[in-house]
Amino acid sequence: MEKRRAVVTGIGVVSPLGNSVAELYRGLLDGRSGIRAMTEWRGEFGRSIAGAPVVPDPEQVKQISRKVRRTMGNAALFAGLAAREAVTQSGLEPEFFSSGRVACVIGSTVGSAASMTEACVADYEGRRNDLSACHFFRLMSHSSSFNVADMFGINGPQLSTNSACASGLQALGEALELIQLGKVDAVLAGGSDESTPLVAASFQLLYALAEEEVPEPEKLSRPFDAGRTGLVCGEGAGILVVEELEHAKRRGAQILFEIAGYATNCSGWHVSHSDEVQTANCMKGALADAGISAEAVDYISAHATGTKVGDAAEASAIRAVFGGDTPVSSLKGHIGHTLGASGALEMAAVAGMMRDGLVLPTRNLEEVGDCSGILLPREVQERRVRVCLKNSIAFGGVNASLVCRSFE
Amino acid sequence: MDRNEIVKTVNSIFVERFEMDESELTPEKKIIEDLQLDSLDLVDMIVGLQQKFGIMLRDNPEIRNVRTLGDVYDLFEKLAKEHPEIADKIK
Repeated sequence: MEKRRAVVTGIGVVSPLGNSVAELYRGLLDGRSGIRAMTEWRGEFGRSIAGAPVVPDPEQVKQISRKVRRTMGNAALFAGLAAREAVTQSGLEPEFFSSGRVACVIGSTVGSAASMTEACVADYEGRRNDLSACHFFRLMSHSSSFNVADMFGINGPQLSTNSACASGLQALGEALELIQLGKVDAVLAGGSDESTPLVAASFQLLYALAEEEVPEPEKLSRPFDAGRTGLVCGEGAGILVVEELEHAKRRGAQILFEIAGYATNCSGWHVSHSDEVQTANCMKGALADAGISAEAVDYISAHATGTKVGDAAEASAIRAVFGGDTPVSSLKGHIGHTLGASGALEMAAVAGMMRDGLVLPTRNLEEVGDCSGILLPREVQERRVRVCLKNSIAFGGVNASLVCRSFE
Repeated sequence: MDRNEIVKTVNSIFVERFEMDESELTPEKKIIEDLQLDSLDLVDMIVGLQQKFGIMLRDNPEIRNVRTLGDVYDLFEKLAKEHPEIADKIK
């Protein structure tokens, strides 16, 4: 039986470079950085740490009804704002979301890192009775997913792919499979996360945070660069409307691209060590799922966060699968690591590259060093991007790869 | 602590927590039917009242019987008489 096909008909983001796909893409094209010194965290760290924060528009926030907003931490709020942009672009009728044929699949590392900290502090200080009735709903692992479902009246499956930094890409893969299986006709899918001092400190503890105090913090996130020292924590959300192809065609929707294949796996042996063999296997699995050869891939959007070991392992895995002629870049040099949001959020930019025939470079990549042997553009390149592969790699030994192709 | 002060304090919870306009907040308004508070909001109303007045209410059966905003004002007028120290605790 032929598989049903899944296409993307709407994209929305909340990002360190702006709260719309257009703002994010413009910022990336201009080579701007969403990274700055988090002076407001100075008290927590004793010095300035770089971060890539999101600044939501209060007017947009107010447009989400209070009864949904009250159970949202920042991660869910970002997801809600991004979802609204995606749904608006899709042109789907509001009634369709309550037809039982729409799913909501959104993942994040935790429901709300800030709400979790607040609850712990309240408990420690003996103030549990001060907590809102809504507080627990903000930090539940599926907070982004159910809150977005409530925003749009989605009453089909509601799932949450909570796999740390692979959450967003796994959600898109899950959306593809739900549509292929005929369970639903559309999915609001993606990832979200919020950054807090505790989140940054989790990476700092593992020597994975870029934490030097430098005059230009926007140069700290350096994926694939020989001088990389770790990642910079970002935050945000990326939400896509993934729709069954015939459904999209029937209503005359604008099709942005097709999600053609997906694979996810895990190392099965270590929570934080890179496993380039399994990362390579994951990419091969996604290509096989799409029925597309490695040679046909025009661009690879790498996970590469700027950590010493992680970037080298991913570069090695890419080299093993694709050789050295396919352009590769990581957008984390511009926007930091948006954690659970990253896979879906970065796909929003990749969609722009596919549309415009451009490959965006890795910001701050000056000297390749140990990540050599793969093609790492230093400038915006004109190139037809018909097929692309996106990677996400996460704590837990998790890999996810998505293969997308332009729709003609 | 006079009724005006109680009204002002109770209303501030509805303005801050439930984003209501002060002009909506009149004593005859039914909390569920007119002001549209649901079960989660009712818990948060109690949490807000506890914080503002510095008094525990969770296990007070009378707070569960309030139906209108006026009932809340009345309850706190009574509580203020029984516990004059409330006046010093208002935040």
